[in-house]
Amino acid sequence: MTTRRPAPSASAASIPSNADLLAVAGLGKSYGRRRVLDAVSFSVRPGEVLGLVGPNGAGKTTLFSCLAGILPTAPEDAGRVVDGQGRTLPPGGRRDLLFFLPDGILPWPEQSLDQLLARWRDLWGAPSTREPSLETLLERLDLKRLRGAAAESLSKGERKRFLLALSLLTPQPLLLLDEPFDGLDLRQTRDVAALLKEVAAAGRTLFLSIHQLVDAGRVCDRIVMLADGKVAGVGTLDELRERAGLVQGTLEEVFLVLT
Amino acid sequence: MSSRKNSSGIGALFRLDLGELVAARSFWLLLAMIGPLVGQAFITAVASYAEASGAGGGPAALAQGLSPLDGIVVPTFGAYDLAVTFLLPFVAIRLLAAERESGAALLLAQGRVSLPARLAVKLAVLGLGGLAAAIPGLLALGLWRSYGGHLGGAETANVLLGHLLHALLATGIAFAAAAVCRSSASAAIATLGLTVGGWALDFIAAGRSGWIAEAALFTPAAALRRFEQGDLSIALLAALAVATLGALGFAAFELDLYAGPEKRHLRAGLAIVLAVGAIGGIAGISTLRAGWDLSEDRRSSFSRADEAALRQIEKPVKVSANLAAEDPRLTDLERNVLSKLRRVLPDFSVTLAAAGRSGLFDGPGYGEVWYQVGTKRAMLRSTIEPVVLAQLYELAGVAPPASDSDPAYPGYPLAAFPRGAAPLFYIAWPLVAGLAFFTRDRWRSK
Repeated sequence: MTTRRPAPSASAASIPSNADLLAVAGLGKSYGRRRVLDAVSFSVRPGEVLGLVGPNGAGKTTLFSCLAGILPTAPEDAGRVVDGQGRTLPPGGRRDLLFFLPDGILPWPEQSLDQLLARWRDLWGAPSTREPSLETLLERLDLKRLRGAAAESLSKGERKRFLLALSLLTPQPLLLLDEPFDGLDLRQTRDVAALLKEVAAAGRTLFLSIHQLVDAGRVCDRIVMLADGKVAGVGTLDELRERAGLVQGTLEEVFLVLT
Repeated sequence: MSSRKNSSGIGALFRLDLGELVAARSFWLLLAMIGPLVGQAFITAVASYAEASGAGGGPAALAQGLSPLDGIVVPTFGAYDLAVTFLLPFVAIRLLAAERESGAALLLAQGRVSLPARLAVKLAVLGLGGLAAAIPGLLALGLWRSYGGHLGGAETANVLLGHLLHALLATGIAFAAAAVCRSSASAAIATLGLTVGGWALDFIAAGRSGWIAEAALFTPAAALRRFEQGDLSIALLAALAVATLGALGFAAFELDLYAGPEKRHLRAGLAIVLAVGAIGGIAGISTLRAGWDLSEDRRSSFSRADEAALRQIEKPVKVSANLAAEDPRLTDLERNVLSKLRRVLPDFSVTLAAAGRSGLFDGPGYGEVWYQVGTKRAMLRSTIEPVVLAQLYELAGVAPPASDSDPAYPGYPLAAFPRGAAPLFYIAWPLVAGLAFFTRDRWRSK
């Protein structure tokens, strides 16, 4: 737990360049007297896979919820969230830019997978060529054999893959996925990582909250390290190594130094 | 966002919500129970009506007193009052609360369909479920017709409208409770608490005058009673619409994830304050008391000639009744005279002057009813319509109508046996509902 201290004003924080898809500056969040996020600033570049890593309780899910706008922040903690054109996005105005998939949810548990996914796809209108088709997703996420099953009957890993399918059917350019590999076995983790890389290569930007550093190292182009609600480092593995002073260090070693 | 995308989104959301309704056990419980409930009410009503009509060689009640509205329609649809009060809120709460508890609300909040549209879709889905639940009631009416029974179209439609508006209000209240409570159980308790509060208000207001009596006219139970008597009042329609919209507005503001808690609660509270204020305004605007008496026997109206004569009275009319709440003369006066005068006179007020509820210990003036038109006053003890009207005409200086040209209500006696009703409502309906429930996975996948 950290003590609350005044957050730097948004204008004082650096707003990254126009090449970014999204830039965040001076974002904070407190639950009562407990400070969970403190002056968080970073940017998201188009088409990259950005990882958000940090120990349990670092504030990863809170950060995603605040970014998505569904977790209100106090006015002094609101900071600035701007899009690539430099427009400040209010909490309710980020829906066109990003979609947040929380961890640990099971929406519409009693309905069958194929019905749910088809209705979810229809909810968003006709998919663009950037999003994989429903059939492709069912195939790639190994959900075809579970088409008629109710969501509540799925195992933990199957539920995670179902949720990923839901998120990949949305049209927003930026996806915030909370623990996308949690509950997956090694083979599934590799398959999902490969799929996410393909999705990013097709032009979509992914921001993944990951607590397993091995998974983060496998899939992410850049990493935001979060510790005690503060950004401990942002960059590629090499940039983080340099910051940590570990030229040959692994992500785990860099993480331990920086957090 | 294009309107095409939006409409396809609403269609998909409708199917998602319909899937949730079909998945909800509370909905199937409602559906399974409504058949026997309606059946029991209908069979008892038909049997009682037959007895009153002289079945079995007994003396028939005066034919004019036999109205299918009171004898068949109201008791049969009384089952829906029970269902709307005790079962529908659970279905509505489940539809909204399950979405929040499962995380679906978080996903939908980020979608293209606005929150009011999402609530409207839920209402539409519940409406579809309500149509299915209405089948037993409509079947009962069909059976009654098949026995040769009479149904007054306007008065029957008015009862159905009353139940529809009652169900909409109950759904709005259930949505509001589900939006503000953290769990379904708390929402159910809050909804039932409001229902009991309405009953308490009815009880407290019985035999009283003033704002509390005016407020009690707009409780769901009291509102439904007026529809059941063939009364279609503009004020009542407006008040029910405002109350339903207020509750839905409260729910919409409380469910807005993008607003902070203070802003959410402030907006939601404002919606309720505005709704209550609007209902107060509606109750206070006398022109909105106008409406229609849709009962075939014109029970809530004077004869057309008397109504025309009463409309000539422009001065304020005040009635001060020194009768206690539990005195049957007050009930007679209210039913025979006061309720009818309210509908006709633009400036009309009633004061109940008795101190006690029983009248046993009231003073020497107990039983007097004072009528005042402008500055002229007169006292009567009679509660009989022609006597009171004659007094009012005299006070107002209006000539009484020459004669009553309205045709007399003939009454519709019918000594019928409720044949086919028991197997239909007690066996076939629960079987069909049960079969649909157990095979729902199969048919909804098609």
